[in-house]
Amino acid sequence: MIAGVLDEQTLHDWVVEQRWFASKSREVAHLNVLDAVALREEEPQLQVLLLEARFPTGTHEIYQLPVGVRSSFDEGVIGSGDGRTVYDAAADPELTRELVRLIAAGAEHGDVRFTTAEGGPVIGTVSSSRLMGVEQSNTSLVFDERLVLKVFRRLEPGTNPELEMLRFLTARGFPHIAALAGWYEYEGRLVDATLGVLQAFLAGGRDGWELTLDEMDGGDAQWERLSDLGRVTGDMHSALASDATDPHFAPEEPSEESLSLLHADVDEQIERMWRDLPDDDERLADVVGRGEDIRELLHSLSSVASGGKVIRTHGDYHLGQTMLTDRGWVILDFEGEPARPLPERRRKRSPLRDVAGMLRSFAYAASAQALLRNTVAPAGWEERARTTFLDAYLEAVDPGLLPAGRGATDRLLSVFELEKAVYELRYELNNRPDWVAIPAAAIRRLLEAA
Amino acid sequence: MTSPSQPGHWFEAQPLWFKTAVFYEIHIRGFFDGNGDGSGDFRGLTEKLDYLQWLGVDCIWLIPFYKSPLRDGGYDISDYEEIHPDYGTVEDVRQFIEAAHERGMRVIADLVMNHTSSDHAWFQEARSSPDSPKRDWYVWSDTVHRYEDARIIFTDTETSNWTWDEQAGAYYWHRFFSHQPDLNYDNPEVHEAMLDVLRFWLELGLDGFRLDAVPYLYEREGTNCENLQETHAFLKKVRATIDREYPDRVLLAEANQWPEDVVEYFGDGDECHMAFHFPIMPRMFMALRREEATPMYEILARTPDIPANCQWGLFLRNHDELTLEMVTDEERDYMYSEYAKDPRMKINVGIRRRLAPLLDNGRDEIELMHAILFSLPGSPVLYYGDEIAMGDNVYLGDRDGVRTPMQWTGDRNGGFSRADFAQLYAPPLMDPVYGYTAVNVEAQLRTPTSLLRWLRRFISLRKEHPVFGLGTYQPLEPSNRRIFAHVRAYEDDHMLCVHNVARSAQYVELDLSSYEGFHPVEIFGRTRFPRVGELPYLLTLAPRGFYWFQLVKDEDE
Repeated sequence: MIAGVLDEQTLHDWVVEQRWFASKSREVAHLNVLDAVALREEEPQLQVLLLEARFPTGTHEIYQLPVGVRSSFDEGVIGSGDGRTVYDAAADPELTRELVRLIAAGAEHGDVRFTTAEGGPVIGTVSSSRLMGVEQSNTSLVFDERLVLKVFRRLEPGTNPELEMLRFLTARGFPHIAALAGWYEYEGRLVDATLGVLQAFLAGGRDGWELTLDEMDGGDAQWERLSDLGRVTGDMHSALASDATDPHFAPEEPSEESLSLLHADVDEQIERMWRDLPDDDERLADVVGRGEDIRELLHSLSSVASGGKVIRTHGDYHLGQTMLTDRGWVILDFEGEPARPLPERRRKRSPLRDVAGMLRSFAYAASAQALLRNTVAPAGWEERARTTFLDAYLEAVDPGLLPAGRGATDRLLSVFELEKAVYELRYELNNRPDWVAIPAAAIRRLLEAA
Repeated sequence: MTSPSQPGHWFEAQPLWFKTAVFYEIHIRGFFDGNGDGSGDFRGLTEKLDYLQWLGVDCIWLIPFYKSPLRDGGYDISDYEEIHPDYGTVEDVRQFIEAAHERGMRVIADLVMNHTSSDHAWFQEARSSPDSPKRDWYVWSDTVHRYEDARIIFTDTETSNWTWDEQAGAYYWHRFFSHQPDLNYDNPEVHEAMLDVLRFWLELGLDGFRLDAVPYLYEREGTNCENLQETHAFLKKVRATIDREYPDRVLLAEANQWPEDVVEYFGDGDECHMAFHFPIMPRMFMALRREEATPMYEILARTPDIPANCQWGLFLRNHDELTLEMVTDEERDYMYSEYAKDPRMKINVGIRRRLAPLLDNGRDEIELMHAILFSLPGSPVLYYGDEIAMGDNVYLGDRDGVRTPMQWTGDRNGGFSRADFAQLYAPPLMDPVYGYTAVNVEAQLRTPTSLLRWLRRFISLRKEHPVFGLGTYQPLEPSNRRIFAHVRAYEDDHMLCVHNVARSAQYVELDLSSYEGFHPVEIFGRTRFPRVGELPYLLTLAPRGFYWFQLVKDEDE
């Protein structure tokens, strides 16, 4: 029983319906509360629950669920009984403000510890709190339009890259991020895991994806902005590679087989993907039956000396992770692709993998004009966006991080674009069949360029 | 805050992690040379962690890297808290462990508690005078006529377990080579010294130990001096100390004994967490050659249940010879005649060859043996190089023939080292079949149908089903003795594993009556097979073929 109110079944039924619950397609055999840490004793009570979802095969996942307890409450209710209601604390501004207060106070409750970031924005007291738009894997809360708290739901052992990257970049004075104000974490016998990150909220900033769609007019201002974005991206990579003394960030020579490992990985994705590809989908006409050509292409692209360096990267880089503010571009969301395991998200990679992500995002933007806005992107828009971004990037980034020579850089970039496009193809087939033509076109283009 | 070097920072608390882990054994000298001196080292190993992570390794097992005169491949330790200079520094080890932990991999290391090198300062002090405070740390005698019932293990080189020491003016006891004097566990000081050695490495972040030669710690007159109660009592003391001070670590016993004796090393779940199942291994090879599954069924039937918090370590090959101590004389003769046609391949009581040459480099056979290994109750332990079907070199002395440099690429020295060929600790294989130009990691990474790529997929598949580490084992023993079939079950996961050890295609009728109404779903390709009905379930298998099915109950049918 949780707080004397919830039984396993009630909690189970509620959790599996939440957006942030990652394994919706799987049956959950048990939902257990591994730990409950009281953060506030008086009404409304606040507790952080660590939940374990166990699957029928015996594997499991761990989730964070901060809950509130009041005699009655209407939002985010999980269950009631005995004159008390247990609910998702994210729905109660009084409790979310309490989390911020605990961070500002550097509090410690049981195995949960709150920390204020050195040199970060002043936290002070906050009066208003609102839930930010819907997200897949986390819950974000905005306070007084100046701070945002990202609450991680699925927990994995180790330091979350979001925290690690923000701390590193803040300490090195990299200006194009939303500065870290503080965080809270669980450190106990059970697991060490980052629970949440508080950082500056950029009021008035414009989302890079929306902005690109809104102003896809081919005007000079747009190219100027994309050129700036290329420069900022290059600077970000140079900053991430700037400390040889920190083993978690020191740039490294890629190991001899690193390109072969990448090749093997992408090749298996292609093989799996093409085995399951429906052959009657018109939008896939360009790529159906060409699995072997694509594997051949991958083989030839990746049969070059890799060169360059591997560094910590953004890991999930696209227009939606950028924001244009009055002080220029700001890069957000350093936690990497949430679907990948944490050790993989922390792995050092070629910075070109981020670049490929952004180039793919341009392709999406161009097509989204038609799919979302009922207009068409100006002719040659994607091509020019690529060139503009890339030229500025290559000029800004530390050249030692890239393979020697433009030819080698382009080939490695193509490998990452192919990897990305194959992933997109799978994702779109499963989630947004109307969008499959976008990755299909990318794959066709890579085949033609070969 | 948990120190980042401690496993607690990068892993969920899970005292039973070892039960679902895939282990990978590494001979550090032979893995990768990071500093170009011709010998593998910790910096080199750290560079290869991405490869091991990619392969799906959960726990790396290192054979000894301690300071040693290397007269027994490092199992002759001359200082427990230093490492051999060829391999780097203790700080390199710490960094390696942290880098492995960050990637979600744990690290255990061999520890020899039974004996030291005769070069160890303890022994030097002990032999110097009968009054030395260390004298009683070893086992001395004025006569060789004590403990005469103890067998000699290294029959090729040793004639007695006693060796005369001029300086000491006495005989000292050794169960292995004469340069490896046994420590005296009747002395409580030795207990404390050894516990401090364990603490030193656990403090550095190590996740546990594979305890070498563990049955021989004590000697008692009138016994064979193996598996004595005193030995078990000491191991329990070690376990209790570790449980108290360092959670989630593992003790893996090397006790080359019959299953009924080995289970003693689990105690009541309060001694070693794991122990190798030695006798199953030669029987797998035997089953393959005789084309009948009986030897495997028999030894598994003879294997007692073990405590729920314990696990068998299972392997096909390791850094030692394929040991034939745990077979009958007749079986041993059979194994020699089938698997060691060249007398050079024999050593002590076993065969010093790698997996691929033992199986005549047959791809189907290598896959089948891995399938059987992965299907059995226990945690599989892979041996470096076997994932690419490396060969061996019977012309190298002792067991060095199965410890040649890892073959990374088709380039010079097989990509193992930038040193001159003449500097290498051992020549890499260069023969046309197993040499590094033909067999190497890079080529296999780039070949979709390679053994390496296949094994990686298989490992990840096995890891999706904790049943293989945690589940029950129910043999099916069909009337066709060429078929090795069993069901593993854990929570709601039921796995039917069917293997054909014959060189010819076979059919088999399986009694699946307890699964009537279930559908077997083949787990590599997710193909649904016909529903299990009232009649025996008929399957046909290709030569040396196997199927693994998940038995799925359809609610809606």
